[in-house]
Amino acid sequence: MAGPAPERLKSPGGRAAGGLPASAADHALAAVPTLWLAVFFLAPLGFTVVFSFGRSTFGGVELAFTLDNYRTALSGFYGATFLRTVIFAVTASALCLAAAYPVAYFIARHTAKRRLLAVLLILIPYFSSFLIRVMALHMLMSRGGATEIVLNALHLHDGPLDLLDTQTAVFIGMVYAYLPIAIVPLFVVLDRIPRPLIEASRDLGASRLSTFLHVTLPLSRPGIATAVLLTAVPMLGEMVIPKLLGGSRGVLMGQAISSQYLQSQNYPLGSAMAVLVLLAVAVMVVALARLTKGFDEVGA
Amino acid sequence: MSTALRRRLPETALAAWYVLAVIFLFAPILAALVYSFNTGVVNKQTATWTGFTLDWFPAAWNDRSLRRAVGQSFIVAFWTALVSVGVGGALGYAMVRHPARGVRRLLAGVTYVLLIVPESVIGVSLLLFYAVTRIPLSTATLVAGITPLTIAVVALIIRARVLTLDRRVEEAAADLGSSRWQTLRLVILPQVAPALAAGAVMAYTFAFDNLVVSAFLTTPRVNTLPVYLYGSLQYGPSPAVYAAASVVFVFTLLMLGIAGLIYRSSRRSPRAGLR
Repeated sequence: MAGPAPERLKSPGGRAAGGLPASAADHALAAVPTLWLAVFFLAPLGFTVVFSFGRSTFGGVELAFTLDNYRTALSGFYGATFLRTVIFAVTASALCLAAAYPVAYFIARHTAKRRLLAVLLILIPYFSSFLIRVMALHMLMSRGGATEIVLNALHLHDGPLDLLDTQTAVFIGMVYAYLPIAIVPLFVVLDRIPRPLIEASRDLGASRLSTFLHVTLPLSRPGIATAVLLTAVPMLGEMVIPKLLGGSRGVLMGQAISSQYLQSQNYPLGSAMAVLVLLAVAVMVVALARLTKGFDEVGA
Repeated sequence: MSTALRRRLPETALAAWYVLAVIFLFAPILAALVYSFNTGVVNKQTATWTGFTLDWFPAAWNDRSLRRAVGQSFIVAFWTALVSVGVGGALGYAMVRHPARGVRRLLAGVTYVLLIVPESVIGVSLLLFYAVTRIPLSTATLVAGITPLTIAVVALIIRARVLTLDRRVEEAAADLGSSRWQTLRLVILPQVAPALAAGAVMAYTFAFDNLVVSAFLTTPRVNTLPVYLYGSLQYGPSPAVYAAASVVFVFTLLMLGIAGLIYRSSRRSPRAGLR
């Protein structure tokens, strides 16, 4: 198998760069997922967009074109919730990134065999029940729980710990839940940075810090963008962690939307709020695309 | 500070941070495992340790609604994995190999969108969709609702594998008179089989644990384990819930371990050397 590929093995007969000509099989392979996702993903999202312009009648919905739902969703309690959610997602994602970067950096510096083990240790918790982990986190943070005992023993805190039902608890929960998802893309990018590049920088007299700041950090930009995207986006819609750890004070968009559907039965308002979340996601995607400019074709 | 110490300091700090992260990630899981042996107070879980007992494991087993929820979760996870491997496998392959560049881009774009729409938005949209189309909620509608998330995961795994395949092998098969279907079945499928298996395991695990989309699509008759647990939180969960979750976690780890072994041994086999 070694050696350069002989010329004659390349596509014979001047075929298009795409390879073999399209066949029924190719069309079927493309059509099946397109149709499935059109029905169970795009159509439902389309319904949400249409309903967001509708009018809520007593126990039903009247299709219309009104912006009233958006007005309601952007003012008063709902507007404040939306704003708080966006700030929250951005902050929690930044915290997650700050916690994940050194971990990914540490893993990427190891030899292949130890690297696998180091990544596995990060990923294994991800395969246990998410809800049970959050419930256990709740227990650990509650009064008389393990955190209180440990902090008291270390003399870092004195007396009972009032951590639950605070914003801090929600931040801890968010960082906890999304840390592995932030570590993986960072690790993948850091792992790909050629070692000689780092060595060259050091040989040319750059300190370790300035090598990191001027070589490693800029080259890891795509990983940073992916990590922020994969954490901030689900955080925008997160409804379980704020409810369990934040109590009544920490209502975020996910919960607010779900209560419009499940309790108030005001589908148009809930839809408008869902569309606002999608718009926030779109803004985030565009902003992060700028961060990865020039990296698009690298690797793939 | 000596220079040797100063050189080692960043290394040590990094290692310490890594260890802290691992402890942080494992602490709640260990707590859940440990607290499945906690006596609790009047059948409720407590943050303070009230004594060791093994009673919660048989209690979880004898709890009919809990057992039903676990059974339902297995069924939903199985069907979701099956559909996701079929649809996601096709998507991952077509994303790389479809002859038309436009189609490849469209498929990649859809997969990207799948990954960035928050789950709660998908959940409410599906609830609305089923309500408007008057499709009654069932196991099938729940499976269909979870698949968009898992299809994207499977597609990305398959895509990564197909990118490493040598296109010339497919062309050789075509030159030797094999139809496109035969090439797919006899040349491509054996090569992507380990990736399909890995995708199936991921889809299965995701579906089993899915809470947000499921919370909108379950009914009292179709109730999965996470949704059941979520509901039980209102009354304060019993330690039996932790016992059930511990058993499921150990089972998941075993499955993942087996899947990992199969994946590794298949990649080492001479067949994989085809590329």
